[in-house]
Amino acid sequence: MSIDRNTDRRAWIGNLATGLAGISLAKLTGQFTENKALGKTDFVPRAKRVLQIFCPGGASHVDLWDYKPELERRDGQYLPEGAFLSFMGKNGPLMKSPWKFRQRGETGSWVTELLPQVGAHIDNMAFIHSMTSKSNTHGPGCQFMNTGFTADGFPANGAWASYALGSENDNLPSYVAITDVRGEPPSGPANWGSGFLPAEHQGISLNADRPIRNLASPAGISPRAEQASRQFLDLLNRHHQERNPGNSQLRARIAAYQLAARMQLSAPEAGDLAQETHATHDMYGTLDSNRFKAAYARNCLLARRFLERGVRFVTVYCASRASGVDGLMNWDAHKKLKADYERHCPIFDQPTAALLTDLKRSGLLDETLILWTSEFGRMPTRQEGTAGRDHNPDGFTTWMMGAGVKGGVHYGATDPLGRRSVQDIATVYDFYATVLHVLGLDFQQLGYYHNGIERRLTDVHGHVISEILA
Amino acid sequence: MWNRGSFLFVLFLMNCLLFWNWQLQAAEPIDFRSQVAPILQQHCLRCHNPGKTNGKLSLATATHLVDLELVVPGMPDQSRLIEVITPATGDKRPLMPQEGAVLAASEIALLRTWVLEGAVWPVNFQIETPVSANKSWWSLQPISKLMPPSSLKSIPNWPTSPVDQFVLRRLQDNALTPSLSADRLALIRRVTFDLTGLPPTPEGVQSFLADQDPTAYEKLLDRLLASPQYGERWGRHWLDVMRFGESNGYEQNHVRDNAWPFRDYVIQSFNEDKPFDRFVLEQLAGDVVGQGNPRIEVATGFLVAGSFDSVGNGNPIARRLIRANTLDDVIAATGSSFLGLTINCCRCHDHKFDPIAQLDYYRVRAAFEGLQQTARVLATTEQKQRHDAQRAPLLKQLSAIEAQITELRRTVDNRINQERETLIEKLFPRPPVSKYGTTESFTPVEAKFVRFTILRSTGGTGKSAVSLDEFEIFSSEVPNRNLALAKSGAKASVRSMRYSNDDPLAYGAHHLNDGRFDAVWISGEPGGQLTIEFPKIEKIGSATWSVDRIRAYTPTRSGAFSAEYMLEASRDGQHWTAVAGHSGRQPYDESHLNDQLFIEALKPKEHKHHTALLEQQKSVRQQLAVIEVLPTAWIGTFSEPAEPTYLMQGGDPEKHGPNVAPASLGVLDQVVPSYRLAEDAPEANRREKLARWITHSENPLTPRVLANRIWHYHFGRGIVATPSDLGYNGGRPSHPQLLDWLAQQVLVRHWRWKPIHRLILTSQTYRQASTFHAAAAQIDADAHLLWRFPPRRLTAEAIRDSILEVAGRLDHKMGGAGFRLYEYTVDNVATYYPRDDVGQETYRRAVYHQNARAVKVDLLGEYDLPECALPAPHRNMTISPLQALTLQNHSFMIDMSRSFADRLIRESGPDKIDEQVTRAYQLAFARNPVPEETVAARSLIKDFGLLVFCRALYNANEFIYVH
Repeated sequence: MSIDRNTDRRAWIGNLATGLAGISLAKLTGQFTENKALGKTDFVPRAKRVLQIFCPGGASHVDLWDYKPELERRDGQYLPEGAFLSFMGKNGPLMKSPWKFRQRGETGSWVTELLPQVGAHIDNMAFIHSMTSKSNTHGPGCQFMNTGFTADGFPANGAWASYALGSENDNLPSYVAITDVRGEPPSGPANWGSGFLPAEHQGISLNADRPIRNLASPAGISPRAEQASRQFLDLLNRHHQERNPGNSQLRARIAAYQLAARMQLSAPEAGDLAQETHATHDMYGTLDSNRFKAAYARNCLLARRFLERGVRFVTVYCASRASGVDGLMNWDAHKKLKADYERHCPIFDQPTAALLTDLKRSGLLDETLILWTSEFGRMPTRQEGTAGRDHNPDGFTTWMMGAGVKGGVHYGATDPLGRRSVQDIATVYDFYATVLHVLGLDFQQLGYYHNGIERRLTDVHGHVISEILA
Repeated sequence: MWNRGSFLFVLFLMNCLLFWNWQLQAAEPIDFRSQVAPILQQHCLRCHNPGKTNGKLSLATATHLVDLELVVPGMPDQSRLIEVITPATGDKRPLMPQEGAVLAASEIALLRTWVLEGAVWPVNFQIETPVSANKSWWSLQPISKLMPPSSLKSIPNWPTSPVDQFVLRRLQDNALTPSLSADRLALIRRVTFDLTGLPPTPEGVQSFLADQDPTAYEKLLDRLLASPQYGERWGRHWLDVMRFGESNGYEQNHVRDNAWPFRDYVIQSFNEDKPFDRFVLEQLAGDVVGQGNPRIEVATGFLVAGSFDSVGNGNPIARRLIRANTLDDVIAATGSSFLGLTINCCRCHDHKFDPIAQLDYYRVRAAFEGLQQTARVLATTEQKQRHDAQRAPLLKQLSAIEAQITELRRTVDNRINQERETLIEKLFPRPPVSKYGTTESFTPVEAKFVRFTILRSTGGTGKSAVSLDEFEIFSSEVPNRNLALAKSGAKASVRSMRYSNDDPLAYGAHHLNDGRFDAVWISGEPGGQLTIEFPKIEKIGSATWSVDRIRAYTPTRSGAFSAEYMLEASRDGQHWTAVAGHSGRQPYDESHLNDQLFIEALKPKEHKHHTALLEQQKSVRQQLAVIEVLPTAWIGTFSEPAEPTYLMQGGDPEKHGPNVAPASLGVLDQVVPSYRLAEDAPEANRREKLARWITHSENPLTPRVLANRIWHYHFGRGIVATPSDLGYNGGRPSHPQLLDWLAQQVLVRHWRWKPIHRLILTSQTYRQASTFHAAAAQIDADAHLLWRFPPRRLTAEAIRDSILEVAGRLDHKMGGAGFRLYEYTVDNVATYYPRDDVGQETYRRAVYHQNARAVKVDLLGEYDLPECALPAPHRNMTISPLQALTLQNHSFMIDMSRSFADRLIRESGPDKIDEQVTRAYQLAFARNPVPEETVAARSLIKDFGLLVFCRALYNANEFIYVH
């Protein structure tokens, strides 16, 4: 519930009875007109929903998106600052990217040769090359990228969107986090938690191989028994409500049970990839012999099915967390950059490109904002004693695409070596100020009181990067 | 708030009018102090103040304005200051201020004129950082000693007790009247859940209904307050408030198996009604005031109960920031739990809303500067002494033996050094293994199986797990042909491998023969063993293996490798022939080489002596090992800080401000006697002093916060709706006088909770019915003024506990290590998988669940068990379809429905459906069914059985709502 700090300010903030339910419940019961999560926007939204593609582990900007000819020229030389310290300690000399960059699309934007299919969409992407993070550590970095705070306990981007805008589809969750088959990203569920926002806004974690928990009726209970049991429950609740009028929570809970029954039908339908044509499966690569790629492809296809059914915020993870071997299960190429990215990029490329193509073709892209993110980038130097790169929170790349975003734009820049952001330095706060703006929300107005502070996704910072908006 | 934009626009129009009006009258020169300073203070200093300096700019003094040339005296159009506050075109927001209201046109005009007139800033004039509340804020005032008000008109049957009089007066001021008394059934269910978190038993209900004694209710209260379940319920409230969690949080999020003693301490403290001032003192300085007493020392678990980043960092700047974040958690918990102050808002700058200076934040930090997030021995002084006494002689023996070994070693090493190279050549003619690739060639042999056993690794101890990126076996006939490759049909298998729950094959055997050198097999034991099986018998002549064939690392950096090994061949997989081994290879690491040389160089007499010494060493170590270790708990350790605490400008540890001494908070310096310790005062003194200041009898915040919390948990809402924030951003008291009266009672009753419970629970206010009245709801929809008892939902714990209790399965065992509703796995970082099947070991009260950060388990998470990474002074009460799915479909619910059904059969007889239904209603709802319900239940049970019926009762609204 949203806290009503003051009876006098009740109208401003809502109350216990009304703060508990989303738009879906509101519509069902016709009661909850004061709820803050009512799909209210501050101005005309450009996008209705968000798809976030998150590559955890610190995907290297200087090897994927941020072409640095100077780095090629100075390969093997030391930075002027010498063997500086970062997360893992000392860094060695500069190391050029093991792969070539190519110019793609009409804009001739540079992108690594490792992503031939994603590169085909480059004219639609708005790059932010000057991102910065407050943490050089995966867990806090992921949380910062997804919640605006490095500390534990804050609501995720999708929870804020769900809280502000509610759901478009009563029968599905408003926020889903599709995790990779290789496991959860660093900091796991903290990336899609609702923090202090009401629990209904938390991301539901699932993927193509792992449906929503507790969805199916138990084996021992027949459909007829279920039916009779629901009728009996209705009787109990009706009597109880007659004895206790004036408690809107009771009505809301009855409605939630009706919703749950409908979700039991609609969620499996949304997750039924068998409904897709063979051509579609082929395009995504769901049957690929690489089991990680096939699994990610299924997740991308699932993401599209959720988006077209009106799920407000979908995050798809490509790779997982810091495992026993750096860079094995995610983009954290500390030691074997070449081997690692030649394993990860083929998993990422085709399914992601297929998802972008599919959204474009179906027209969903006109209403969907796409975000590509990682928690930070990587150093242009080699980590001392290895053929990999350490974490770099001082400069990295993200991109947006789709509704409300101008394609083919490159905002901000790192220095000629990719070590630091130097031009139009952008923060995670700016990033989400912009995202919220595209959703029709004023980032300074979207707040929630918690323990003394009106909290925001953007903390007390941020500005809208209008240069990348259409 | 959502309409602020348009509101501002109207304000803007109004100001335009004022502006014209004002211009006509402007004639006097501008006075900085009275005219300019207030504008800068209101619009700019929230961010541009000395503590925060957004954009590296403070406008408290003229220094930065001059240095950065933001103002050109006499020329407003050339002055950056004027430029940024002036709207560009139309209604587009100017660059500054970024937050809050933009400057009115009149204010901009005034600043322009000030610049035009020469931008005079009086010497040494400093503008104060603005706050919304000052020290006259209500919660910072001494507690007023009040008499209860008289009612406007008396109400029949409404008692004259102080609580009821305060409440009645507020009701009557708002044209409301209280409700009638709740019936006894409602009352016993309400108060039993309230005090114990469990439903009343049918027998308890019966005896309460039958008790004719006019003090029946008071006797019930006494019984409930004395029951140990009281501590389990109210202790859990405190654990919410002070952010107790049982994992480290952040990325690694390792579980804490040793945090539970603090949880037990809290429960116990509530059960013995420990005075709150003592409770505070113990939690901040239990090691000081209870030294050698584990029951008190354990209380410092408060300080380290939060989450922290345990990863470690190679960057010293990042390390200092992580340390600052870690202490911030402690400072925030201290301020919010005890004082209802958001001191943590002052980490980077003075509080924006409350009169708390940034300095105050660092004063509290100074108290905790010596704290480390770790476990500490938790034992009595006597236990520690006994432990030391047992170990001391053995340790002395051990060091004597080790001195002799060292001496022998020195003698022999001196001898070795004279002929070291020759000795090495003689003993180890072959080079050491290489991680980039080690080859053994041997006399060709026919084999279908090749087995490679790793006897010793290159890892530090020689006993660590081993990684290999590839294992190749070459044909003796076609020397370049690698027979081990999977694509040639060979199979690789291993005795063990490191396991990852996420991807069970992550470190699997397939990496050994995939022809790629990127990923590795990692053994799951010290050393390891692998076997390659060819499709048919082959003649083999050599083998090569590596951990870093692509030479990505310098040699010392890659994973541990096989240092000593044995290679065997077999035709049938049964009979093995050794074909190669490590013998003759120079030991991989220097220390192992030295050990080997030492052994080889010993003379027979020396050898005997050495063996004897090793025997003695082993024996003493064994004796040491059997001495029971002292128990430890996650309660932190303390050491004297190396350096004084300093103010961090902008919250940045790299920006040193002045040193800060441990001292009382300036925010209360007008009401509570202050103290100030030396910068290097012993850290124990600092914590104790702070605790005594927090609980000083003149500190108005602590008793107010406590009284309000108690009220909050009884009525579902505090007199102030934000129980951990009594500042400007928090709520305003709905009954300010009642709050002060209760706070006064806290002091009068020596900080004990139970007398305050009695005051509240015996009030007619609490005993009202929850009956709805539309007319009253028109005035006060949520009954904040308490015209009825506000109905509410059970907490997550109470729901789960009740399900178990009603099923007759709740294990009432108190204390000790907790249980888990998740599978816990660690592969560098921890992962928590919610369990689908939960066993009987989880049938305990939910307060004993080992709650981890960011981990929300099914029923508990969905019913708003708070995220334990942050303090949760109040619970959300959400309603969602996922709750319905879990409560209907989770296997736990089916198990409990079955147990509930079994219980009904057991207690009412197998074929007595009506009796079963009645019993079920008494257990689940504390009432009897009405005839219509019995009829419907009978039909459901006849058609589909008792389990379906029980499951429906669990899902009923009545089961989880209290009226």
